[in-house]
Amino acid sequence: MAARSVIKYLRPKTVVPQIHRCASALSAFEIQHKTPTIKKVMPIPKAHYGGRHTVTLLPGAGIGPELMNYVKEVSKYFRVPVDFEDVEIDPNANDNVDLDYAITSIRRNGVALKGNIETRSTEAGVLSRNVALRNELDLYVNVLHCVSYPGVNSRHKNIDIVIVRQNTEGEYAMLEHESVKGVVESMKVITSVNSERVARYAFEYAKRNGRKKVTTVHKANIMKLSDGLFLEISRRVAKDYPDITHNNMIIDNTCMQLVSNPHQFDIILTTNLYGAIVSNVVCGLLGGAGLLAGKNFGDHYTIFEPGTRNTGTGIAGKNIANPIAMLNAAVDMLRHLGHKHHASLIQNAINKTINQGVHTRDLGGQATSREVVDTIMKHIKTASD
Amino acid sequence: MALLTRNICKVFSQVIIKYNLQTAQIGAVRSLHVGTTVEQEGKVKCTLIPGDGVGPELVVSVQNVFKAANVPVDFEPYFLSEVNPTLSAPLEQVSNSIARNRVCLKGILATPDHSSTGELQTLNMKLRKSLDLYSNVVHVKSLPGVTCRHKNVDCVIIREQTEGEYSALEHESVKGVVECLKIVTATKSQRIAKFAFDYAVKHNRKKVTCVHKANIMKLGDGLFLKSCQEIAKMYPRITFETMIVDNCTMQMVSNPHQFDVMVLPNLYGNILDNLASGLVGGAGVVAGASYSPECVVFEPGARHTYSEAVGKNVANPTAMLLCAVKLLHHVNLKRYSEQIRDALNRVLNDGKVLTKDLGGQSSTTEFTTAVIHCLR
Amino acid sequence: MAAQWIRNAVPKIGCVRFYSSKVHKCTLIPGDGIGPEISSAVQKIFDAAKVPIEWESVDVTPVKGPDGKFGIPQAAIDSVNRNKIGLKGPLMTPIGKGHRSLNLALRKEFNLYANVRPCRSLEGYKTLYDNVDVVTIRENTEGEYSGIEHEIVEGVVQSIKLITEEASSRVAEFAFQYAQDNNRKKVTAVHKANIMRMSDGLFLRCCREAAQKFPSIKFEERYLDTVCLNMVQDPSQYDVLVMPNLYGDILSDMCAGLVGGLGLTPSGNIGLNGALFESVHGTAPDIAGQDKANPTALLLSAVMMLKYMGLNEQARIIENSAYETIKEGKHLTGDLGGSAKCSEYTNEICKKVSTLAK
Repeated sequence: MAARSVIKYLRPKTVVPQIHRCASALSAFEIQHKTPTIKKVMPIPKAHYGGRHTVTLLPGAGIGPELMNYVKEVSKYFRVPVDFEDVEIDPNANDNVDLDYAITSIRRNGVALKGNIETRSTEAGVLSRNVALRNELDLYVNVLHCVSYPGVNSRHKNIDIVIVRQNTEGEYAMLEHESVKGVVESMKVITSVNSERVARYAFEYAKRNGRKKVTTVHKANIMKLSDGLFLEISRRVAKDYPDITHNNMIIDNTCMQLVSNPHQFDIILTTNLYGAIVSNVVCGLLGGAGLLAGKNFGDHYTIFEPGTRNTGTGIAGKNIANPIAMLNAAVDMLRHLGHKHHASLIQNAINKTINQGVHTRDLGGQATSREVVDTIMKHIKTASD
Repeated sequence: MALLTRNICKVFSQVIIKYNLQTAQIGAVRSLHVGTTVEQEGKVKCTLIPGDGVGPELVVSVQNVFKAANVPVDFEPYFLSEVNPTLSAPLEQVSNSIARNRVCLKGILATPDHSSTGELQTLNMKLRKSLDLYSNVVHVKSLPGVTCRHKNVDCVIIREQTEGEYSALEHESVKGVVECLKIVTATKSQRIAKFAFDYAVKHNRKKVTCVHKANIMKLGDGLFLKSCQEIAKMYPRITFETMIVDNCTMQMVSNPHQFDVMVLPNLYGNILDNLASGLVGGAGVVAGASYSPECVVFEPGARHTYSEAVGKNVANPTAMLLCAVKLLHHVNLKRYSEQIRDALNRVLNDGKVLTKDLGGQSSTTEFTTAVIHCLR
Repeated sequence: MAAQWIRNAVPKIGCVRFYSSKVHKCTLIPGDGIGPEISSAVQKIFDAAKVPIEWESVDVTPVKGPDGKFGIPQAAIDSVNRNKIGLKGPLMTPIGKGHRSLNLALRKEFNLYANVRPCRSLEGYKTLYDNVDVVTIRENTEGEYSGIEHEIVEGVVQSIKLITEEASSRVAEFAFQYAQDNNRKKVTAVHKANIMRMSDGLFLRCCREAAQKFPSIKFEERYLDTVCLNMVQDPSQYDVLVMPNLYGDILSDMCAGLVGGLGLTPSGNIGLNGALFESVHGTAPDIAGQDKANPTALLLSAVMMLKYMGLNEQARIIENSAYETIKEGKHLTGDLGGSAKCSEYTNEICKKVSTLAK
């Protein structure tokens, strides 16, 4: 009897779920936490208290820290309901203590914003920290949404391409050895599980965002088994989405097509290394490394970062780095967390700033980073008053 | 006396509703632009529940201070009461308002005797449940100018408040034998533990102490303890300690400085909240807050309605003002928050205008006026 | 203050009125760690006061019973059952599964339904609170410590708090009786009936009924949280407190904290089949055998025992001597900030006892 009443007690009666009352629909953050494809060993409660989220901040190296400061400044100025947990990673350390802590912190918070982390140590036991982070947290897909800014002077206008890239295996498996002196073997790993997950993500993304076409980019003519598997699986997944066109293209051809006629692409689905190449090509078309933001997505965690993974050490501290990419990453993060209102306001301010021609040197302008950020804040203020 | 209270409340809430109607209209027009119900900039909307006992008086004091400081906060008042069910707004309406505004300032609700209502759940419990306000945070800190036996107390007591002994599952199995169920679940225990650790990280605190009675309640409190231990593993940079509740109360009165952040199940939390409040000056000076994932309800840390002082103008508004300060901080109105906190500290430090519970002679209104005078 | 009153009272009563000339037998469980030292200190002081008590020392080291479980030796049980009264030093809680806590076993065996802990500020040992004089009386057999717990589904545990009318009335009546016998003015029932409306409500009802039988004692009801709040602000407003198991556990330790810790607070368990008085502090294995321990808690427990037996005269003499010694502050043990050995402290008390007993 008692047991039954307890079970009844535990089952919520007719409580209207919080989220429905709060006007906004489910945020991506909510969906991610409610529908993991692989169950966690122990579900970690979300760091979401009183409407505020906690987010891990990995400033990384080079221009990372200064860009993070801009993000913090804008968030504070605009009263964004997000708290940041700063985690510094010492690039010179020869052990992984800091990295482990960063990973733990992301596990706790579920979401991170990150600059590019440098790994200076050459010890064999020290992994590339960016890769380790992705592998450890199983962030199997990297998404880069490339959209042209009208105000940025580039050869191609109106580009709108989403690059969905496998993020944890392929050429980045980090299995290398020198079998005989002078002969180095590097292993490329493709698994059907991961290929399926990333393909499924690409098609789901297409379906949810009303996109029409997915292009699988590969090199299956040469690497028949590995890239062949990837291609085969994406074809199989495509069958579940009859409304979405699916085609495939060889990587070298893709690069050529991208620079000559980028408008034929909608969503690009690809393996790890090709993804790196394609995203840099597209970013180049749109105006360089300083504009776009990407996200690394797994079943439980999401890391947002600037789209092209460069530290920009050369221009660090000179007040000329382009803060747009990091701010865009922050906007994506806010949208992911469900703070749509804040996200769109900042987004609009960024767009206005770029389109009115306040550009840093990398876009051919004269403005300093500071000026760009100030203009953005000014726009936010006008928009919100 | 009861009649007097009722009248005060009535008049009070009517005035506010009138005032609020005007601003609500302006708000509606503006929100068309923005497209969301929450206005982050401009005026912040906040649900207000004056509560029973001296609650309404204290709320008036907060409103006067807000008015004097020109704080851009609109209150949306609801009279919610269990002892006065006829005047009380429906719970559904109140909780919807809180869910919409995401912040609420609340006085304390009195609980009538069980025999008169026949219901096992109190209104407080229902409100917490409907909004899932699972975590209660009371920051117990010695205030300047308030003399107590213990100096420099500074600890945070975090309490799970949706399960445990407060399950409201009770039955009389045989005549004269009552069983009361205490429920502990892993999910909720982990959730509160994580909350405590995240709080510690966010506020740069070094230690989390889990208080329990797992030596006797091996399964129930054992589960709570185990959950805390599991979560603690994810926070290698925060010291984790455990302490048995009876020992904890003893340590608290003899050496409260050893505590930093404490995480407790429901009932123990209630005990420690009050105990610690007593150390720093009583129920009138300690602020608390209840968190759900979406909203926050700010209310005094030690829950006493102080109904014997109703209408006498002697209650100490410090706790309520501190709640308001925390509220302003939460909605990112940090400038106002600091302004009011400074004023409050200055009044307490001067020690000239103090209410009776702090050894002074002044009335609630005098104290409030003093705070307003000190606003800069 | 009270001590002064006692001092004045003692000579007036004049010749010692022995409760009876009969020699009482008492079971003594010396305990572990510092237990034996402080037990012998108590015995020594009792000898000096010529208390008509004969100690029957028993060993309660768990032995394997006929059912294969470890438990208290039968001889010890028989001894307490015969004498109906016992004094117990601190016991080590054995770690590991398989045997019940000895304290629990003793409690069950003798049906010890009420736990009494007087907490009084001691003159001479300065704490932040100097006006504490409360007695906590705690129901000891049911409530939250009923031990009925189970996991319904994984990750969900329910434990049952059991409140019965019988046990509640029993402890409530005991509390009032105690108040009357010890010249106390007021009994406060501590409860949480605003939340646990039925269970604590039942407890409260039993207290109200008991209150009616003792019209000379003032009765009040307070919420647990209110008591906690007020206790640390002004402990003098409380006198005798009566409450269910868990609350008592917490509050009694808290009150001990107010007066300087468990090393100074006595404790008595009253049962249907006898009474057991004990010191509730730990075994302090680190200072065991070094003549450093503080026997005050056990001594005051023994004094409670004497009062329970009706040997009020000796009880007063010993209590008075102990308080006096602490007040003088010349022979304090390490935990009270002195440097005296346990034996020096004991001797000092003995000296005072002999002067007073003359």
